Parts: sequence; C-alpha cells; structure tokens
Amino acid sequence: MKLRLRLALTVAAVSVPMVAGLGYVQHSLRQRNQVEVLEASTLARMQAGERERCEAQPEAWRSWRGGPPRPEPGPGAPDRPPRPEGPGGPRSAGGPGFVTHFAYDGRLESRNPHAPVLPESVRREALEGRTSVVRRTAMRGESQLDVLVRMPWAEGPCAFVLARRLEPRGPPLGGMPPPEVLAIPFLAVLAMVVALGPMVRRVRQLTSEVRASASSRYVAPVQVRGDDEVAELARAFQEARAEIQHQLSQQEAREQALRDFLSNTTHDVMTPLTVLQGHLSTLQQRLRQGEALEPAVVGDAMGEAHYIASLVHNLAAAARLEAGAPRAEFAAVDLNAVIARVLGRHQPIARQQRIALERGVPEAAVWVDGDVTLIEQAVSNIVFNGIHHGREDGHVAVVLEHSREKRFRLRVIDDGPGIPEAERARLMERRFRGNAARTRGLSGQGLGLHITQHVAQVHGWALTLAASEYGGLEVVLEGLSST
Amino acid sequence: MGERVLLVEDDPQLGAQIVEHLRGAGFAPSWWREGRVLAPGELPDVSLVVLDLMLPGTYGLDMLKSLRTFSEVPVLILSARNDTLDKVRALKLGADDYLTKPFWPEELIERVRARLRRPLLQKAGAAVDVGPLRIDFQAQVVWMHGQPVELTRVEFALLAALARRPREAVTRQWLLEHVLDPEREGTERTLDVHVSRLRRKLGARHGVETVWGVGYRLTPGEDA
Repeated sequence: MKLRLRLALTVAAVSVPMVAGLGYVQHSLRQRNQVEVLEASTLARMQAGERERCEAQPEAWRSWRGGPPRPEPGPGAPDRPPRPEGPGGPRSAGGPGFVTHFAYDGRLESRNPHAPVLPESVRREALEGRTSVVRRTAMRGESQLDVLVRMPWAEGPCAFVLARRLEPRGPPLGGMPPPEVLAIPFLAVLAMVVALGPMVRRVRQLTSEVRASASSRYVAPVQVRGDDEVAELARAFQEARAEIQHQLSQQEAREQALRDFLSNTTHDVMTPLTVLQGHLSTLQQRLRQGEALEPAVVGDAMGEAHYIASLVHNLAAAARLEAGAPRAEFAAVDLNAVIARVLGRHQPIARQQRIALERGVPEAAVWVDGDVTLIEQAVSNIVFNGIHHGREDGHVAVVLEHSREKRFRLRVIDDGPGIPEAERARLMERRFRGNAARTRGLSGQGLGLHITQHVAQVHGWALTLAASEYGGLEVVLEGLSST
Repeated sequence: MGERVLLVEDDPQLGAQIVEHLRGAGFAPSWWREGRVLAPGELPDVSLVVLDLMLPGTYGLDMLKSLRTFSEVPVLILSARNDTLDKVRALKLGADDYLTKPFWPEELIERVRARLRRPLLQKAGAAVDVGPLRIDFQAQVVWMHGQPVELTRVEFALLAALARRPREAVTRQWLLEHVLDPEREGTERTLDVHVSRLRRKLGARHGVETVWGVGYRLTPGEDA
C-alpha cells in the first residue's frame, strides 16, 4: 500500500470513530439539558401565577407554550397538543419547544378529562418522593418527552404538573454531527496527503538514486538533503555503500592475489618439474644405451621432486598466510609429533645426500596452540634448508627443549656452510614479498624462511638465526607451550 | 608372513605402489579401492589401517568414524589436501597419525613401523632388554651378555635414562639436569667422562651412541 493511502486510511480510521463519539456525547448532553430546562420552566411558570389559575379551574386548566395557541383538538386526539408549525420542526434542542402542561393532585389524579392517564411505573416513582419523573416514547414519527414535576406544595389539584413535549423524531444518536465536526477528518486527511507530497517525492528520488547506485556497483553516491529521517536514511545508505565498496575492493584484491598465486605457482612448479623430467630423460637414455646408472642423477631427480613438494606446500602456506586469519584453525599441536613427521619427510633425501638427520625431544609430548600445517611447514623449511645446503657426511639435528616455565625452544642445528652475520640480518629484515622471495636465489633460502618467519609471527614466537657451535647455522624457534 | 595391513586407496598407481612397498618391507597388505562405512565384524583382522581421506563412495573420515566405534586398530591417514581442519578432525576422530602427499615410500614404511612398534615401548616393566644389555631398574643391576656389570650410581642413572627410551636420543641438557648432580658436577665435560667410562665398562657392544648436536642414545646394536 502506498504511503499516502496508508496514512489517509489511518487518519480516517482514527477520526471517524472520534467524531461519532463526540456526536453521541453531544446528543446525550442535549437530551439532559432538555429535561432540565423543561423541569425548571414548568416550575417557574406554576410559581409565576399558573398555580392560582390551575387551582381555580382544575378541570379545564391546561397550558401551552412554544407556539401560537391552536384550536382545541378534536375528540379523536383528546390529549394531543398542538402540532408544531411549519417545516422548521422543533426549535433549538435546549428550548422548551411545544409543550403542553397537565395538572394532577397529590394522588396523581387529574380533574381535567383531557389529561393523559399516567402509567403505573410513573406513578410509583412519583409517589416514592422523586421531584421529577422522565419518560421518552416514540410514536408515529414523533418523539414525546414527558416530565412529571412535583410542585413545592403537596395539596390541591395541582400538586404535580406533567410537561409533555412533542417533536418530530430525529435520527438515532442525534443524527449527523454538525458540519464543523464532520470536517475534521476530511481536513486531517487532506492535510496529511498534502504534507506528505514532498516527503513521498524525496523517498521516491532516494529510491531511484539507490537503484542507480546499485547498478553502478555502488560507485554512484546518493545525495543527502536536509536533516530529517529521509536524510538519515540516505546517510545510512551512504555508509552501507562505503562498506560494500570496501568489501568489494577487498574481494577483488583477494581474487587478484589468487590469480597471481595460480600463475606464480604454475611458473614456480614448472621449472623444477622440467629439471626433473630432464633427469628422468637422462636416466632413460643411459638405460637404453646399456650404461650404468649414475647415483648422482637419481639423487638429483629425487632432490628435485622433493623440492617441488616442498615448494607446493610453501605456496599453499603462503596463500593461507596472505589470506589472513589463520588463528581460526588453531588447535592443540604436539610438537614432538611434528618433529617426527618433518624428519620422516626429509630422511630419505638426507640419507641420499649422506647427511645425518637427528632429533632429540623430551619424553613427554610438548603441546602448543597453533595451526599444525603451518607449524609443520615452518619447521620443515628450516630442516630442508639445513639438508639442502649441507655438505656430504654433514649433520642436521632438531632439538626440542621444554622448560618448567611453559616455554619451548626448538633448535635446528647444522654443520653446513652457515650464513655470514650480515646476510643473516638481511634475511630476517626482508619482508615477505611475493615473487622476489619465491626465487631460488639468496642462497636458496627463498620462500621457505619467510614462511617460517611469518608462521612464527602468527603464533607469537621468536625466530632467531645464529652461528651454530659446529660452524653451521642454528635456527631457533621459541615460544609458549600449553602444557 | 608379516603383520597384516589394510590399505584403503582409490588411485590405482599409488595403491599398487604402496602395496608393493609394504610387501617389500615384510608386511601382508590387503587393498580396498574404495571406502565404506564399516559395521562391527566387517573389518578384516589387521594390525594397522592406512586410509586415504579422499575416497569415492565414502569420505575417509566417515569410514574412520564408523571404524572407531568398534575397533582400536591404529589408523594412519593419507591426505593430498594439506589442510589443517582435516588433520585436526582426523585426530579428533581417533586417527593415530597422518601423512601428507607426496611422501617417500620409506617415509610411509617408517611411519607404519613406528605405529606398530609403539605398544612395545609402552611396556615399562622392572627390567628392559636392549640388544645384549639387560637393565633392571629396581635392583639397579646391569647385565651384558648375561654377565653383571659393576656401575657407579651416576653411570647406572645415565644408562637407565637412555634405556627407558631406547633408540631415542636424549639431550645433553636433559642428562645434565636429571642424571648429574647439578651443583657438583654439572658440566658437559663431566657428562662425556661418565659416558666414556660407561662404554668402557660395557665393552665393545655397549650401544651407547653419540648423537650429533643432541646428546646420546642407546641402540640395540646390529643384530636387533
């Protein structure tokens, strides 16, 4: 339903019963007023000399008021008073109108043969001592009001006087209220419709602006005019629009990052895969020519496959870290088990490169709160680097220590070439940066160490690089345990 | 015939390879090409289950869930998705370990062995045999090839600490803190001296190995 129609109906629904109620109240007030006036005027008349006339000629006394005296009514209607004259009907409601008076004695008997016989209920009430008894009756299109008034004197033939007033019957409840009352609902509806005009126009304008904005992917703004609720709505939409735009741009950035990630991954994986294919092809050629297989070629092929696997894991980890909020997947992680898995992953390659891969962990599992995939990848990267850069017959050891202060220290030590101090500092300073970090350059530390650094940061752990006591590198992860 | 292992893997190449490697390592594998929700009695009599998570028919985790309602058999999960939620869920549902693809065959075999070995390690009795060595923790006596060996208090404590976790390296730091009296003789040099004396007393097949960068470990020797 339209706003204006709804409001007009609401106004009508409220004001029509209100006007009807007012009409009813007015009608009943008028009726009460009529009775009081009739009563008072009757009493006043009697006291002003009619009593004497009545008592002097009780069988003929009858008094009219409110119109010119009319001829005596015929026998067909012995107690009918004169008819109101003309089409004007009764006079104003409060006035005495056309009134006929009849006198009764203390026992409510009238000496006047034209006086109506009083009904039993009226008699009873009057004899009980009431000062007046009121009856309304309707007959033949006329309404008749009888008021039997007790006079201040109790004796004589005129102790009670019946004032009878006749008027054409009005509509029930007093008929239509006066026009000024009737006009109220109409005026209210009219005012509402007129006043709503500009408001409705503004709402319509705002609606079309919002639609236009939506179809422009929320680039087009809506105008905020004025300082009322419509303006407030426009402002709220502006705020919502800004938020939607923000979300849209973030989503676009994420999609772009995903596209970049996919293309980088493809590139990053294709290169070592090509190297692997080259190794396999060499092996096949040697076999075909009946030559002995070179362990070095097989080893290189395995190393390359291992590198690809590690790269893909790192790229997935990088995507997770770049997407943000990895804390959502935090759970209890058993560091002993993580180290066992990492060593299991790298042992075949370490063996191949004749590097001893060792571990020392506490007997009781050390638990931390974290993301098991990321932690495993972080530790794996350090161990991978140790093996990758290790020399033949070298060593890589992972040592996990747990203090009573609920702190763990995970050290990865090697006796490889190590990293000069200046470069170590540079490695740690360099921020995680897409493509540059992905290359095999920078002593091959590449992406791995940066992932490790990022994972440490996400978990609130410290990552330090130092020279190991065996001449190589010692990488330490330190943080709080949950056990 | 070795211990029976059930492999649930849908990829024909990978499945065949794993079966071959398991067989080569002395296990008796049976291979299901798809997962199913198991009712009690439907699981063959196996010592271990290797379960791929991404299976046609039934999702690996559903199979694990149904299996865990009636069986405590160790389950090693294989997953191509390196996804944290998968792992956390699998461990919560009662998986014992998981392995992310790609993996080396040796890695898989080693993990299967580690799972099957575990119950033996938990048997912590009054005495333990490690190769030719027998260590009685209560009586604090050590036999080598059945012959009692006289050890000092510190030497026995050292050997006992290693024997409680055979094949596992124990860090120097731990040994310094728990075996030596930290106030009197708490230096690494002292520890090394005690170890070399212990080795001398135990003879050529002492089994006390130096673990580079870590500490020491007790191994059963070549014949184990």
